[in-house]
Amino acid sequence: MDSVKKSFAFRLTVAWFALIIFFAVFGPLLPLPNWQEVFDDALSVTPLKQGHLLGTDSNGYDILSGIVYGARISLFISFTAVFLGGVIGSAIGISAAYVRGKYDYVVSTLFNVVLSVPNLVLSLALIAVLATNVDPNVPTSTGRRITVLVISLTIVIIPILGRIARAATLSWANREFVLAARSMGSKDRSIIWRHIVPNVLPAIFAVAFLAIGVVIVAEASLSLLGAGVPDGTSWGSMVARGRNDIEFAPHIIIIPLIFIALTVISCNYIGDVIRKQLDQRQAKL
Amino acid sequence: MLKLENLEISFATSRGNLHAVKGVSLEIAAGESIGIVGESGSGKTVLSRASMGLLAPTATRTGTVVFDGQEISSLPREQVRDTWGTGMAMIFQDPMTALNPVRRVGSQIMEGLTVRLGLSKEDARKRAIELLGRVRIPDPEQALKKFPGQLSGGMRQRVMIAIALACNPKLLFADEPTTALDVTVQAQILQLLSELRKELNMSMVLVTHDLGVVAGHTDKIAVMYAGEVVEYASTKDLFARMRMPYTEALMKSIPRLSTPSGSRLPVIEGRLPDPTKPEPGCLFASRCPYAQEKCRTQHPDLTTDSNGHQYRCFFPLGGAQ
Amino acid sequence: MNKLGELAKRIGQLVLVLFLVTLLVAFLMRLLPADTVDIMLPGQPEEFKEVIRQELGLDKGFFGYYFQWLTNFVKGDFGSFYFAGGSETVASHLGNALPKSLLLMLYSQIVALAVSIPLGLSSAYRAGTKFDRAVSGTLFTFSSVPSFAIGLILALVVGVKLGWVEPLGYVPMSEGLVEHFKHMVLPVASLSVGLIAAYTRLLRSDVIATLKEDYVTMAASKGLSDRRILWRHVFRPSSITLMTSAALNMGGLIGGAVVIENIFSIQGVGFEIIYALGTRQYVALQSLIALVAVGYVLFNVVVDIASGFVDPRTRERRGLR
Ligand SMILES: Nc1ncnc2c1ncn2[C@@H]1O[C@H](COP(=O)(O)OP(=O)(O)OP(=O)(O)O)[C@@H](O)[C@H]1O
Ligand code: SF4
Ligand SMILES: [Mg+2]
Repeated sequence: MDSVKKSFAFRLTVAWFALIIFFAVFGPLLPLPNWQEVFDDALSVTPLKQGHLLGTDSNGYDILSGIVYGARISLFISFTAVFLGGVIGSAIGISAAYVRGKYDYVVSTLFNVVLSVPNLVLSLALIAVLATNVDPNVPTSTGRRITVLVISLTIVIIPILGRIARAATLSWANREFVLAARSMGSKDRSIIWRHIVPNVLPAIFAVAFLAIGVVIVAEASLSLLGAGVPDGTSWGSMVARGRNDIEFAPHIIIIPLIFIALTVISCNYIGDVIRKQLDQRQAKL
Repeated sequence: MLKLENLEISFATSRGNLHAVKGVSLEIAAGESIGIVGESGSGKTVLSRASMGLLAPTATRTGTVVFDGQEISSLPREQVRDTWGTGMAMIFQDPMTALNPVRRVGSQIMEGLTVRLGLSKEDARKRAIELLGRVRIPDPEQALKKFPGQLSGGMRQRVMIAIALACNPKLLFADEPTTALDVTVQAQILQLLSELRKELNMSMVLVTHDLGVVAGHTDKIAVMYAGEVVEYASTKDLFARMRMPYTEALMKSIPRLSTPSGSRLPVIEGRLPDPTKPEPGCLFASRCPYAQEKCRTQHPDLTTDSNGHQYRCFFPLGGAQ
Repeated sequence: MNKLGELAKRIGQLVLVLFLVTLLVAFLMRLLPADTVDIMLPGQPEEFKEVIRQELGLDKGFFGYYFQWLTNFVKGDFGSFYFAGGSETVASHLGNALPKSLLLMLYSQIVALAVSIPLGLSSAYRAGTKFDRAVSGTLFTFSSVPSFAIGLILALVVGVKLGWVEPLGYVPMSEGLVEHFKHMVLPVASLSVGLIAAYTRLLRSDVIATLKEDYVTMAASKGLSDRRILWRHVFRPSSITLMTSAALNMGGLIGGAVVIENIFSIQGVGFEIIYALGTRQYVALQSLIALVAVGYVLFNVVVDIASGFVDPRTRERRGLR
């Protein structure tokens, strides 16, 4: 672990997370123009010109401000969806593996059913029904779109993490110390909390980081398809808005793409590190 | 035919340098058969693989290996490879893991024939059938089409022998060819090997942890302990005038025939020394009933008596000469 | 009997999953905030809407509607896109869209396998070398970059900056193979980069494990070249792992294809889904999504059976000799 912690890649990853989380939390305190302020005299400015660090887009919005605000939305959506999906999925997965029997059969069948709709298609379907207004002329508010996005992505995440939790629990539930605790009359609830959860958690965490990456990509894809958040509110929707400018001002989409890609790489890297750690621990047992 | 001189092999492992074979020198003449005997972990497999040049890249080897007048230890792998199959061949220890599970028996036998001997597919097939008949596999035509998983352990071992013999090697390494098999099959396979050896006029290195196995099938015996050769004599001489306390212990322990190889059951009281930690004295001292003070501090050299019988002991059985 | 029982059980499970998946999709469409037809056809006269409702079975309650839809779906009637003036069947749209999507995904899988197999084998063979580390590092990065990002950047660099290939639209094979492939290059490249990364990483670790197997040393001892060993003895067992992984990655590929089709204006199934969504065609949307899910499930079943067929190890385990 220490060698990993000292590695350059690990430090870089931590620094990147620190930066984007700082953007998301303290963004409004930064001395930047409002993300919705239009600079009429500075359209499609390339980075470092006219006082715009990352330039402006073709509408005259400051890109850095957009990135900082987008960090808040993109990270909020992905962290919330993975957190909720993780909690719900783990609760279902752990209990199913612990109880076994019919309940477990129903749960794993349902997981399989939901997983047999490809992620992106499932979230598209959910958004399609949840974000629709009866009157086609009334646009859905950004707030509602974000809520719908979080709900859909949570539903996508539940079976992914639930299945991991279930598998991990199955491998721990029959270990000696659990059986011993059971034979000594411990309550199921306390066995789960004291013995199962702490052991299953690392496996869930490893996949949760990968899941954050998946959700960030999904959010961006959905925005690109016009089903996510509108108006450059998230990184993905900045890409979507800049798509028509790709020929003459590519920086407008390349900058948010870089933020998306680096964040996903970081998530995958951390997930990988945790998984390797786990494998080593498993090997020692 | 094969001459090993001062062969040393060590592995870089996570626990440090593992010294698996220590200064082994042996010689095998054409048509001769030699037994290498020792407990599990004594370095028999490593020694035989190193003689062929088959070791994993984590291994370092010093010393020389001369095969058929050619010093192969200094040749690049590509050139050593030319002797494999046709010059030297090996029967692997575990027939369960040494056959490719996803390729048919036939293709595994014919491969050497077509690639190394340049036989046509049809000729290779004929020869494969003949080989399978030779190792007494019933219905060879059918067997060619099977996957290893569809054969019993004894049948797989016969297939391995057929593969090893396919290109008429001059020297055959048989690495515990019978340990994974049950008793009746063991005897059959050993008998078969002896017959084939005489028929084809091959030299053979027969590796085993069972002194009983080598007794009837070899001309010479080298006893290995903790990577060293500790006794080396003609089979007759070894059994007539055993010099080494370790060999005696091996005799007395009479390994249970059913002991699976690799399970590392100590058949002699005590354990092998840790191969990653060098020890100053006789490596057998902690387990030797004749050990004295000198044994713990000094390392015995290989001594040759007037009969050419070699042993590595300060206080050999029957007294020093 | 046992085999039949096993088979029946698996078919039963498959039918159950297919039933539940379609039920799930149908149920999802019921989460709309108002009546489906009201949303689909806003501003149309009430009588017209009532006709459509009856046609679709929406007046028969959820299960009545679902079973009517399912019956039609199984018969190949996937419903229609409704407009103010009339309707177009989903099937007619699919007739145009499906080949495009299937070709796009097929090409991507072929390209991905064609690149990742040699890359995975050679980096495993040279594990730990500079080459291996460079490949692993590059692929780790690419495995994390979403396909749409690669698509957009490729479109920018190749299509716009270099002006090589007209990146938009789809040209069927009948209008010229060259044009067809010219238009497929960028979408396929965008989709296959992620797959290449996933497959190569998987193959590399699998091959490294296989290289340590006894049967690989055994193959080497026949005197075969490393290249032959890699392809004939190592790749064969690893290819089965790769097949399973190709199936697992299909879900991601379908999602990726939806986005890529929209970026490159290929009017495939993903494009139709977005079109249905944008025009509030919930009946068409339900059929399209159900179709994707059913196709995905069936693809996995086929791969599962195929890999069982290719792999003699599972064939034995299942008793399907
Ligand atoms: N590839 C390797 N890497 C590291 N150590 C190894 C390797 N191969 C063998 N060894 C070590 O070398 C020593 C000798 O092993 P070897 O397999 O030669 O014993 P053996 O006499 O053949 O035993 P057995 O009767 O069990 O086959 C052992 O300590 C073993 O752990
Ligand atoms: S040297 Fe000593 S310890 Fe070693 S075998 Fe001989 S008597 Fe035993
Ligand atoms: Mg051995």
